[in-house]
Amino acid sequence: MIAKTTGIYFDGASAIPQEIELIFDAEKSTLVFNTVNNQTYIWDIDLVGLETKSKNFYLEYGSDPIQNIKITDSDFAHRIKDLKKAKGNLSWYHKLMDMGIKAHILFTVFIFAVIGLGYFYAVPWIAEKAVIVIPEEYDSHLGETFFEQNMLFNDIDTRKTKALNLFAKELNLKNTKKLKFTVVNSPIVNAYALPDGNIVVFSGILNTMKDYDELVGLIGHEVAHVNHRHSMKMMCRNLSGYIFVSAILGDANAVMATIGDNVNNLQSLSFSRKFEHEADAEGFEIIALNKTNPIGMSNLFKRLQDKEFVSIPEFLSSHPITTDRINYINKLIKKNPFEFKENAKLKKLFLEIKN
Amino acid sequence: MEESLQTSTNYQLEFNGKGTEFFSIIIVNWLLTILTLGFYYPWAKARKLQFLYGETSLNGDSFSFHGTGKEMFKGFIKVLLIIAFLYSLFFLFVYLKSPILAIVILYLGILALLPFAIHGSYRYRMSRTSWRGIRFGYRGDRKEFSVSFFKWLFFTILSFGLYSSWMSINMRNYILGNIRFGDVEFNSDGDGGDYFMLNLKGYFLTIFTLGIYAFWWQKELFEYYINNLSMSKGDKEIALNSTVTGGGFLKLTIVNLLIIIGTLGIGYAWVVTRTMKYIFENIEMEGNIDLNLLLQTEENYKDATGEDVGDFLDMDFVM
Repeated sequence: MIAKTTGIYFDGASAIPQEIELIFDAEKSTLVFNTVNNQTYIWDIDLVGLETKSKNFYLEYGSDPIQNIKITDSDFAHRIKDLKKAKGNLSWYHKLMDMGIKAHILFTVFIFAVIGLGYFYAVPWIAEKAVIVIPEEYDSHLGETFFEQNMLFNDIDTRKTKALNLFAKELNLKNTKKLKFTVVNSPIVNAYALPDGNIVVFSGILNTMKDYDELVGLIGHEVAHVNHRHSMKMMCRNLSGYIFVSAILGDANAVMATIGDNVNNLQSLSFSRKFEHEADAEGFEIIALNKTNPIGMSNLFKRLQDKEFVSIPEFLSSHPITTDRINYINKLIKKNPFEFKENAKLKKLFLEIKN
Repeated sequence: MEESLQTSTNYQLEFNGKGTEFFSIIIVNWLLTILTLGFYYPWAKARKLQFLYGETSLNGDSFSFHGTGKEMFKGFIKVLLIIAFLYSLFFLFVYLKSPILAIVILYLGILALLPFAIHGSYRYRMSRTSWRGIRFGYRGDRKEFSVSFFKWLFFTILSFGLYSSWMSINMRNYILGNIRFGDVEFNSDGDGGDYFMLNLKGYFLTIFTLGIYAFWWQKELFEYYINNLSMSKGDKEIALNSTVTGGGFLKLTIVNLLIIIGTLGIGYAWVVTRTMKYIFENIEMEGNIDLNLLLQTEENYKDATGEDVGDFLDMDFVM
């Protein structure tokens, strides 16, 4: 089968357009044409590149120099394309491109589904596994550095600190790391646990407490964070989430990257809620283990929740005491039989810490 | 006498790319990049550039980008080795307990890569770009450029950044002035002082107008870049002229923003094609060089290392 068309030939030495008659022989798989100075060229179809550019078709041949023929006859171009397809030398990229816009929209949906699944299932899983690999010394190092830097500007109450450490020593906290408590004089109603076992308690939160069982509840909660390496887990998850988002969406465009970042922040917030929940549950176990009244934890939460009306302390905004959390504790109290007895020593130490 | 009176020739620059076509390219690229865990990236980049160049035409004939994924992948591996070497030096000095020296070495190393990356990426990009089979080329000298680069950088640091206007214009003049389009030479005649004043004016007027002037500032910058660019061949030349307007940029930006926000970013392809169309519609060329007489003069250059370093450092390509 033979097809003919006119084209414009560029010889690769100059930009002079030369009008030619181009003959395509499908059987011989060749393109044949004559130039003005009567030279005949025969191109093997296998070595000819066919590209659509700016609504025209370009046949490219050779690499140095590249010779070009521009044609506008789309029937002719499609015949060449069909032959290349039949001979199986159409790349799979072109096959994917030829599938059309509907398929590409489907690809888009598929890509977003993969990203979504990867983000919500694969990333947290990998992060969790990564924590096991990271040595505990790293937690300690991280905590120490943070502690040293932060305590420089804080007013440490040495007397209360000593009493609080004695208080904690009376308790069985199921801890694997050595714990060190510090009381900082500050109206902030907050307490936080560092990954190395340093637990910082602000006097603001101590002042809101009415009974020693509330303090046991708080300590139990914070120690659970340390025991479960929540800080490290949080860091691994945030970091891997961030890497995932910026790797997949960073190159796309700013709006997608921003959306990704915000999803990541929201997601990390829900992750931190999960940790708070875990710490509440273990805090409850620690209370029971130490034969303290678990109602203290519930009372503490209620008091902290009331506080919200006065101001919004950091403790509440970073892990808000929701009605959910209080209900959860109350449910634990109802469900689990517990016994408690008044501990005079703890009570005495608690009064020391408070005053 | 007759020669120089030759009537001027017509030149027509156009961008013909459609958003839907570019969307398909982006999506297939994305799919393959994800399925290959990122290894397809150089090929994806080649496809993207082939489309953008191919859809740009001068007097009805398309430009071509001949770079391949394979070339850029090789460059990518080399860059990886260079970066790995820099980081191993960094960790060596950290291990030897001199962290400050380690950081200095890392930063100096990356800084030293910059002129190489700029030089390399221009040589590669230009050599792989053609029109009617005639290659572009970059003839800058790497050593000369690197020396100037660090000299300008030194002045910029010494003047607390004031010299940066001169630095960017000098760099532009050097790079663009060394670009060849076959046997046609590019020239760039920007002046650091003018550029500085332009930015000073743009900055303050933008503040006074609560940001609205930013579009006109952008227009003036674009105009400054384009109007200072010209091409010459012997005594013949082509002057470039920008016809963009502040209002045009304003409309372009707002519509682009609406597309991006409305489609949650998926409409990116249309934003690119609209922008390219606007830019090429607003560059006029006037002069008397007969483009039919362009000759192939520039050599092939297939080393994409500089191009890939540029990618790593997130460098923007000027042209």
